[in-house]
Amino acid sequence: MKEKLSFGERLQKSASRGDFSSALMLLPAVFLLAVISIYPFCWLFRYIFYDYNGFTAYYIGFKNFTRMFQDAVFWRSVLHTFEYAIMKLIIILPLSLLLAVLLNQKIKGSGIFRGIYFMPTVISSAVYSLIFGFIFAVYNGVLNAYLQKLGMIHSPIDWLGSASIVMISIVIVAVWGGFGNYMILFMSGLSSISEEIYESCKMDGANGVQSFFYITLPMLSPVLKVILMLAITTALKDYESILVLTNGGPNSRSEVMFTYIYKLIFGSQTTPQIGYATVLSVMAALIIGVITAVYMYFARKLDDVV
Amino acid sequence: MKKRVLSFMMAGILAAASLSACSGQGSATETTGSAGQTTAGETKGESKAAGETVIKVWTNDRHDSEYVDQKIDEFNKTNDKGIKIEMTVVTDDYANMLSMAYSSGTAPDIAGISAGQSGFDLKTFADAKILEPLNDKIKDADYEKVTEASKLQYEGINMIDGNVYWIPTGMRSGVRMEYNKDLVKAAGVTEFPNTLSGVVDLAKKVTDNGGGKTYGIAFTSSVPFIRWIEGTCETSGIYRYDYKNGKFSFDGYKPVIEACNQFIKDNSVLPGSVSQGVDAMRAQFAEGAFALWGNASQEAGVFTDQFPVTKFDWGVSTVPTLDGQVKGALSIQPQKGYMMLSSSKNKEAAWEVIKFFSSEDFLKGYLEGGYCLPISSYMSGVIDTTKTGRLADFKLQDYESVYPAVPAVAIQGDDYVATLWNAILGNVSADDAIKDLNKRYNEALDNDVSMGKIKRLVIKDFDSMHPNAGTIEYSDK
Repeated sequence: MKEKLSFGERLQKSASRGDFSSALMLLPAVFLLAVISIYPFCWLFRYIFYDYNGFTAYYIGFKNFTRMFQDAVFWRSVLHTFEYAIMKLIIILPLSLLLAVLLNQKIKGSGIFRGIYFMPTVISSAVYSLIFGFIFAVYNGVLNAYLQKLGMIHSPIDWLGSASIVMISIVIVAVWGGFGNYMILFMSGLSSISEEIYESCKMDGANGVQSFFYITLPMLSPVLKVILMLAITTALKDYESILVLTNGGPNSRSEVMFTYIYKLIFGSQTTPQIGYATVLSVMAALIIGVITAVYMYFARKLDDVV
Repeated sequence: MKKRVLSFMMAGILAAASLSACSGQGSATETTGSAGQTTAGETKGESKAAGETVIKVWTNDRHDSEYVDQKIDEFNKTNDKGIKIEMTVVTDDYANMLSMAYSSGTAPDIAGISAGQSGFDLKTFADAKILEPLNDKIKDADYEKVTEASKLQYEGINMIDGNVYWIPTGMRSGVRMEYNKDLVKAAGVTEFPNTLSGVVDLAKKVTDNGGGKTYGIAFTSSVPFIRWIEGTCETSGIYRYDYKNGKFSFDGYKPVIEACNQFIKDNSVLPGSVSQGVDAMRAQFAEGAFALWGNASQEAGVFTDQFPVTKFDWGVSTVPTLDGQVKGALSIQPQKGYMMLSSSKNKEAAWEVIKFFSSEDFLKGYLEGGYCLPISSYMSGVIDTTKTGRLADFKLQDYESVYPAVPAVAIQGDDYVATLWNAILGNVSADDAIKDLNKRYNEALDNDVSMGKIKRLVIKDFDSMHPNAGTIEYSDK
């Protein structure tokens, strides 16, 4: 029968287990988390009932909420966010997976290619968006000049200024910037699949494509689940490159949730409307949270595959 | 044993690093290294205290930094008050940077400012007590002689409720149209038209003559409405704020919207220009890709130094009006003023620096260098206009004036510049745009006035030709 230990004995027991040293080691990280993440999050909720311009806050009750539900531009931006995320994910995930499988084989030069494909992740998104802005430019733009030289188009295409193709241009930049990252993640997942399985299925007479669909994909499923979740939330939160490329695009065509919120606070067209922006951020966080929860529900099957 | 010591040392370093990172808030953000010795420069007649006073100045303008830096060096070397000026150019997010610096205690002593600074609302800054009123200081006789400060006080622009926060030392002219003389002549037009429909026709003629290579007119993605079209509205007597009744009224814009929409319908606009930035369009104007451009006096410097126009002769014309007659004043922007921040620890020394920037010696070279137009008649008389280059083409017309500041309201959605431009492009009908603007702006105005954020401005004897001459009244409802 277990006897109740005295306080002093319990202290001794936890000290020998290393409880105090682990708590001490965690302290800086927890402190930083509280100050940088949790406190600003709670601070947000102070202002959802106010009209705050950075200096003085005026109490306005639920006006921010009624405004949000009538704000057509915001809900259109939510739609654009989904459009952007879906287009980006459909292209980037198969592409990264394919490249990961190809570069996982021990062929010459695969190391160099891995380095090259990973480089966009290292560059700041604002910087490469600025450069893509020059590439996509109508006057003296690199892409238009090349396409015209090759004879594929006759007059420059307005990549970033025409409402019909601005989303495609933005997704191109996003895919270029992100696929290296997911490729490396997939490669780390692939490296956990042992060689013997491939050998045994080769002996059974499976070719490359079959082994991919019947061996690689199923064995990757736990890693796939995590990568998919990361990719979805990142795609929904992407705004820096869109801000630099089109600033919301021709007539708000490429406005996503977070560019709209950003412009409400830091834009030059208005004095900061921090109270309203706060309500919108909470809504945006809710939307992303719901989507993540729905995804986790459908993806729980992926854990059972292996 | 060694490993233990090493790991303790690492833990200690990490702890120290994380703690210092948390506490080092303001110290890392200085752009110029020193927080020099500061002594109160208040004493007059007593011997100067040891050490020098450093006055930090921020400015939003980079285009004049060559001249300004040189004058600052001279001042630092030769002044007898122990003042050292440190200038920092902050080009992006000026208003945000100022308010962030103020709240974190790293604000400069002086901030340069011009009217129309984007994102900057004088009333917000004044109410938050960030700025120091200068009413007593500007009574100084020398200062008054050069700047004519008593005549340059505009409510809402550099003065709030009688407190003057900055005095302009220069101005940006009203908007003008710049044009390619060769292309216009080749289209068979000898005199630049003074009606809006005449300009629309001119653009069409140049385009027809251009054979797909040169076009009549171009716009830009960056606030295209205010480049010259708003000037046409103002000189035709159309303004967005109805001063007599104290509310917003956008009804007058309909004929201008429909006329400008004709540019698009005629295909006289350079393809792709609507989505390109200002500098890209200026570069194409200098290449001769289109004939008509619009902007204010800053284009004198742009087309002389930044994108020199060498292939053709370029001319400047006043903006056209609806019917050829001038029915309202063209708004000008007072510029190059200097605000003192209330957080400054050396207010007397800061005032000396403001006096220096507004002195005849500084301004004469500045205005003769063509960096902006003079705003006081004293300086206009003193400078040698032959040195100002093309800026002389932008000289003040007698119907140019400062408009009383329109109440700054927090509107929902796009502001009038973006909405009217949308209507001109044809994305929304003129009637819908006008109705939408009237509704949103007046709702915001009524809302903000009832909350006590701003007051409604009414000028019952408002005269479009002399907008600043009426009696200003403020109403609480």
